[in-house]
Amino acid sequence: MIALEFPPINEILRWKDLVPGFNKISIIAILAAVIAIGLFLAATRQDHNSAPKGSRNLAEAIVEFIENGVVMQTMGRDGLGWTPFLLSLFLFIYLCNVPGIIPFFQMPATARMAIPMFLALLVWVVYNGTGIKHQGFFGYFKSTLFPPGVPKALYILVTPIEFISAIIVRPFSLAVRLFANMLAGHILLVTFALLSEALFQAKDKVLIPVGILPFFMLIFLTSFEVLVAFLQAYIFTILTAVYIGGAAHPEH
Amino acid sequence: MLRAVVTQSGGHVTGVRLVSADVSVVPAAEGEATEVEGTGPNPIAPETKELAWGAGSFLVLLIVMRVFLFPRLKKGMDQRYANIRADIEGADAVKAAARNDVAEYEKALAAVRVEAAAKIDAARAKLDAERAEKLREVNARIAARRNDAEAEAQAARAAARSQISAAVGTVATKATSIAVGKSPDASVVQRAVDAVMEGASR
Repeated sequence: MIALEFPPINEILRWKDLVPGFNKISIIAILAAVIAIGLFLAATRQDHNSAPKGSRNLAEAIVEFIENGVVMQTMGRDGLGWTPFLLSLFLFIYLCNVPGIIPFFQMPATARMAIPMFLALLVWVVYNGTGIKHQGFFGYFKSTLFPPGVPKALYILVTPIEFISAIIVRPFSLAVRLFANMLAGHILLVTFALLSEALFQAKDKVLIPVGILPFFMLIFLTSFEVLVAFLQAYIFTILTAVYIGGAAHPEH
Repeated sequence: MLRAVVTQSGGHVTGVRLVSADVSVVPAAEGEATEVEGTGPNPIAPETKELAWGAGSFLVLLIVMRVFLFPRLKKGMDQRYANIRADIEGADAVKAAARNDVAEYEKALAAVRVEAAAKIDAARAKLDAERAEKLREVNARIAARRNDAEAEAQAARAAARSQISAAVGTVATKATSIAVGKSPDASVVQRAVDAVMEGASR
């Protein structure tokens, strides 16, 4: 038998304060902002007339990815003004996700509810504000709750569904999707790391070689988390663009 | 290690939950729900400090990106793309101009070829005419020289014959005078000799 002890959930999720009111999640959030600002600051200091390389190449590639892969696909040319917001959102979420696989950090900041919740609420405010700005208060809620082309009798069903879907569920789903995916990944990595350690240190020598299986699974999941970190940032960003685009131009 | 915490009320089991082994279990007052120390707050609930630091960091990033970094980067990108577009348009214009130049050159080349062919034909015709003229002149000169040579030969032949005829006439006159003992008429002998020679030459 092996002595496998899974730590309490709070032990792998809640971090002690380094100084009062400041823990590992705070460090990751600050580093995410600092790294993003540093990257773009370094990029803007390079000569923009020559072929981009290094930090400028990376920064321009990210900007073009957001413009061509997110904004143009969901909002069209009119939405290009939202690029800085979507770019900041994507970078911040990605840089908060990635520490989940970086040694010594090994914790995605988005595996805690605070940051996804704040970002989802911010997006909620932004897309509702955009809808009200473009269509007026009543116009926006009319187009949202009473979608055109639907038989009037169906509004009894459609309007409550649209209200729950567009006004309540959207921010909730945005936050929970990001948080739950990152939390699940983090717990999976902890689980396989603990299992590998327990098997490698088992008293029964027969079990030691078996430890290679969860160890390979740990390596595979670490690689998978690289993809998940990018994918979740992309999904959050593109859904934000879809919501803002839908609020600004409901006819689309 | 996980430990099962059983909650009893009135002698009946009302709930079972798993807690960490290092958590101390405090007996419940009046036999009600047990209090578990050390489990901490709900792990899903957001913490204010994380919310504050996360929100602050993101808002700083957003403001710096929106106000300063993105416009500067984008301006540089747009400027470079505009330069590239201008360079491409310039290259297209140069290419079109080069194509026009090539077309004009080929047109001029064709005209020059036609002109050169005409000049060559004219030169060839002129050369042929000059050669024919020269041939004619040379042939005439040769014919004139041949005629002169033939006339000279004829004259020389006639002179030789006259000398031979005279000599034969003299000899015949001498021989006849010796044979007959009297001198014949020399003119008659000479006519006879001429007639014989005339007949022999035919």
